[in-house]
Amino acid sequence: MIGVLVAHALAALIAPWLVGRIGLKAFPVLALVPAGAVVWAAANTSDVTAGRASESVHQWVPSLGMELAFRLDPLSLLMTFVAAGVGSLVLAYCGRYFAADEQGLGRFAAVLVAFAGAMIGLVLSDDLLLLYVFWELTTVLSFLLVGHNADRQGARRAAMDALIVTTFGGLAMLVGAVIVGEAAGTYRISEIVANPPGGTTVSIGVALLLVGALSKSALVPFHFWLPGAMAAPTPVSAYLHAAAMVKAGVFLVARLAPAFADLDVWRWSILVLGLTTLLLGALRALRQHDLKLLLAYGTVSQLGLLTVLVGQGSRDVLLAGLGLLLAHALYKSALFLTVGIIDHDTGTRDLRVLSGLGRTRRRLAVIAGLAAASMAGIPLFAGFAAKETAFDALLHGDTVDVLTLVVVLVGVALTAAYAWRFWWGAFATKDDVPDRRCTAPRTSFELAPALLAGGGLVLGVGFSAVDALLSRHADLIPSDEKPLHLAGWHGVGPALGLSVLALALGAVVVLVQRRLAGRPVPAEAPRRLVDARVAYVLLVRGTERLSVAAARATQSGSLPVYLMTILAVFGAAMTTALITGLPWNVELRTWDEPAQGAVGLLVVAGTILTLRARRRLKAVVLSGVVGYGVATLFALQGAPDLALTQFLVETVTLVVVVLVLRRLPSHFTGTVSSKRRRRVHILIGVAAGALMTMLTLVAAGAREAAPVSELFASASKLAGGNNIVNVTLVDLRAWDTMGEIAVLVVAATGVTSLLFLRRRSRAMPRLSDPAADSPVWATDPATSGSGPGADGRTGSAGRATQGGSAPVPGLLTVVQHAAGGSGTAKSAERWLVAENTLAPERRSILLEVVVRLIFHTVLVLSVYLLWAGHDLPGGGFAGGIVAGLAFTIRYLAGGRYELGEAAPVGAGLVIGLGLVIAVGTGLAGAILGDAVLQGGAWKPDIPLLGTLKLYSSTLFDIGVYLVVVGVVLDVLRSFGSEIDRQIDEERHGRTPTVERAPGSTR
Amino acid sequence: MSPVRNIGRRLARRRASGSGILQPLAVGWLVVLWILLWGRVTPGLLVTGLLVAVIAIALFPLPRLDVEGRVRPLPALLFGVRFAWDVVRASVEVATLAFRRDQEAPTAVIGVPLVTRSDLMLTLVSEVLSLVPGSLVVEIDRHDAIVYLHLIGVRDREQVERERRRARETEARMIRAFGSPTDRRALEARP
Repeated sequence: MIGVLVAHALAALIAPWLVGRIGLKAFPVLALVPAGAVVWAAANTSDVTAGRASESVHQWVPSLGMELAFRLDPLSLLMTFVAAGVGSLVLAYCGRYFAADEQGLGRFAAVLVAFAGAMIGLVLSDDLLLLYVFWELTTVLSFLLVGHNADRQGARRAAMDALIVTTFGGLAMLVGAVIVGEAAGTYRISEIVANPPGGTTVSIGVALLLVGALSKSALVPFHFWLPGAMAAPTPVSAYLHAAAMVKAGVFLVARLAPAFADLDVWRWSILVLGLTTLLLGALRALRQHDLKLLLAYGTVSQLGLLTVLVGQGSRDVLLAGLGLLLAHALYKSALFLTVGIIDHDTGTRDLRVLSGLGRTRRRLAVIAGLAAASMAGIPLFAGFAAKETAFDALLHGDTVDVLTLVVVLVGVALTAAYAWRFWWGAFATKDDVPDRRCTAPRTSFELAPALLAGGGLVLGVGFSAVDALLSRHADLIPSDEKPLHLAGWHGVGPALGLSVLALALGAVVVLVQRRLAGRPVPAEAPRRLVDARVAYVLLVRGTERLSVAAARATQSGSLPVYLMTILAVFGAAMTTALITGLPWNVELRTWDEPAQGAVGLLVVAGTILTLRARRRLKAVVLSGVVGYGVATLFALQGAPDLALTQFLVETVTLVVVVLVLRRLPSHFTGTVSSKRRRRVHILIGVAAGALMTMLTLVAAGAREAAPVSELFASASKLAGGNNIVNVTLVDLRAWDTMGEIAVLVVAATGVTSLLFLRRRSRAMPRLSDPAADSPVWATDPATSGSGPGADGRTGSAGRATQGGSAPVPGLLTVVQHAAGGSGTAKSAERWLVAENTLAPERRSILLEVVVRLIFHTVLVLSVYLLWAGHDLPGGGFAGGIVAGLAFTIRYLAGGRYELGEAAPVGAGLVIGLGLVIAVGTGLAGAILGDAVLQGGAWKPDIPLLGTLKLYSSTLFDIGVYLVVVGVVLDVLRSFGSEIDRQIDEERHGRTPTVERAPGSTR
Repeated sequence: MSPVRNIGRRLARRRASGSGILQPLAVGWLVVLWILLWGRVTPGLLVTGLLVAVIAIALFPLPRLDVEGRVRPLPALLFGVRFAWDVVRASVEVATLAFRRDQEAPTAVIGVPLVTRSDLMLTLVSEVLSLVPGSLVVEIDRHDAIVYLHLIGVRDREQVERERRRARETEARMIRAFGSPTDRRALEARP
């Protein structure tokens, strides 16, 4: 069974290529895939009819109890025939329907094939959650199909409506599935149906499942999305909106009816909503002028009828419903495809414009006539047999059934009426309308509808052939009466009388409508009392308003508010935990060695000084002291890995923050408006700190289980490494690491996208840029703080911290010469690649020489850390940061062009490569071993060189290394290069008329 | 632009500019570093170290290093001992200053004209001067080879001159220890 789905997935993957290669001819080729599914289903028919359902179960997420459980039973076989059979014909039809130069045809073909696969997967699923997955897959794919003409606003809106409504239903359904599955103790549908759970909870769950089914099948009150979705290309409508997707809801109802049809919530919602939909859809269909919309409302109506029949809860009615499901798939898709041909060949679908087509396109008229006859319920056709069985079954029921019968009868009569309206509207020769010109018929174009319409007749005559199959599903509902059978002719009886009555009523409706049509039509359609679409629009708009209001209320944009919220929640939760954790077992130990006490004092002093700092730079440096102090504590505690990582991270952070500070005022200003608020802040901060201290003390004394570290030590031995931390990161807890680097990448991308207005890959400064001639980091007399009268050739000791510092006249103004600047001195000794791009006053020979001397050394160190990480302190993360620092010093010494020359590849490329390697290693572990990210070791003996130890986790670590290097590059490019560029641009772009007061802060 | 093609182009450019030969000194240093990091010498480590060094230099090229001059053992030893003494002496001085609360330590920025014309020597001298507590290089005038020293604890002109002299003597010792012939000639020519 999985093979069928895989075949569809593969076909969808190659479809764009195939369409690009052979154009429209690709569609008949692709149609072979669902056709193969039909053959497969046909080969299994005798087994399934004999009651031997086949299953295929694979583990998926065992911890959640999710399985790839598929089951081929009578109902799924029937639906497979419908989905794959119609799908195959529709695909073949697409090859004639579209023009060769249609936009996005490759994607369309891929999505359509994928949809067929998803639909087949949906009907084969025997697991509620798996069913949900396919359910949403069809939703998403149908969104793409309906929105195929994405340049039309109507198509986009219709696609969005369908998506929202069916996703809403789908989510309700997911909740329902979980409720029902948990109550039943299994998610296997076959087992749930065999032993249905009961109780109020289950009723709620079933109701939610029904919401999903009814929204998908466009029943009232969700019916409005289906006519809107007619913006889709007609083959899509024929497939999704007649045969496949909208049938998913009917399918689910038919699937669960044997288990839940006796629940009140089921019975009444199905009856009321289904019958309302039947009448409403049929009445609207009678008013349409667009043939496609007529069919769409007709489909809505028929879906209501189908839902009532399959959900009504007695065996015979269910059987009739299944028969009608099959018949409807045949005639409705045939009619849609006919409309597609008419639209294609005449250029209109308006029945007020069409005339004379019956004469010019006799064959098409016959095809449509066959399909319409089946829809109307003319004897010998499939629709007749199914409806008559329904009449027969309802006639023998209780009062409710008889009332249902009356409504159904009216619905069927209306159906017959709009079936006539359709055929008449499309093909009749109308006296007051000139004949519509039409292109010559093409046999291949009309093949698909002919097969479908002819199938309706064949099925109608030989309905008894499928009776055994359909009865096997219907028999799931026990019945003590003599079971009915589907057959082409049931003989003369009350049911036949009802069928004739329905046809007669239909004729009356047609006559009445023709009489009414003579009257002048009101200019505007009368306002309906309740318009579901208007309600929907209001609902959507209200939701949007609400979300904006909610965002405004909670996302104030004030950092203190966010922080205080976090701290308050944290405080409340942890205080509760502390109180419930009484009595505490606090053991106070001063220190293991006095050095810890000294470093602790340093950290405390650094913290206090940071809080008291009024200058940002000072605060940053002081908080760096705290960070380095904590890292020292790690080192003293015997955690070299932690210490190393903390030191490195602290260093990178310091550089990055200093780079950011260039764009901020030098002092903290205007952060706290009033003394009272400041006091509140202090209170919360101190409380949070005290709480954290308490928590640490209590938590340390609250150990109950044996320390996990012993387990980890033996586990890392098993994984072949001596560095527990690193083995934990890349092997034991590789999933966590994977998640963390993903977060890292997302954060870096977020930062970058905030800063780069252009695409980041293009923004890489290279020496070859023409802009590289203007000096980087040139000081601006107005802002650099050298006082008035400075000639611009001045610099201060603090690099990269210019911007906004108040001028202190007379402090360290050193006149510099343009040594090695862009002028004559280019022949001077060179240390870096792009240092000449810097403004002369910004160059530092000290930095240049030192960077030149240590750059490669730092790189080798980073490779060592990466390589040695498995056994010694280090690892991909530390190594990556060290390599990132190598590029950081290149940037600091030589500016953005130096960075561009040092690492001329896009940061995104490095990050992506790293992710691919990390994920690839994980997948390789899954393919070669038992689980994703499971490690393996390879120790080849190389002659003369000794044993080389290679772990798959080392490869994973290389991925981490690359990601970290990429992120550091990304951050340097955005906070460094890009801000430099923006500053330079502002400087050069500033009009000279704008005067700044000397020394004014930005 | 594909990275592979890009690397190829860079290698081609290197070959064209005549600096295609990987500098033995740089590679040698990186291999030694590799061995030191691992803490043991095995044939495997030598090969991998060579590989890592060559790849690092080839992938991330920097301008050629032209190091003139050679190390002379005796002056180098003299410099080492004197440097160590300077660090100790200055540490004591700065520590004393830190504990004297009666007055704020006076500071000064002085310019020291140096003899050398080599960027490398200029940098090394600056580094050494900065390593000695109490003095810090805040700015270098590359063109005229003037380093600007920030000093702590200088009270009068006399002390300023003494510090200037000390800095120049440090430079002289360093040039004698491993300076280029040009620098040494310049040193001898200095009055």
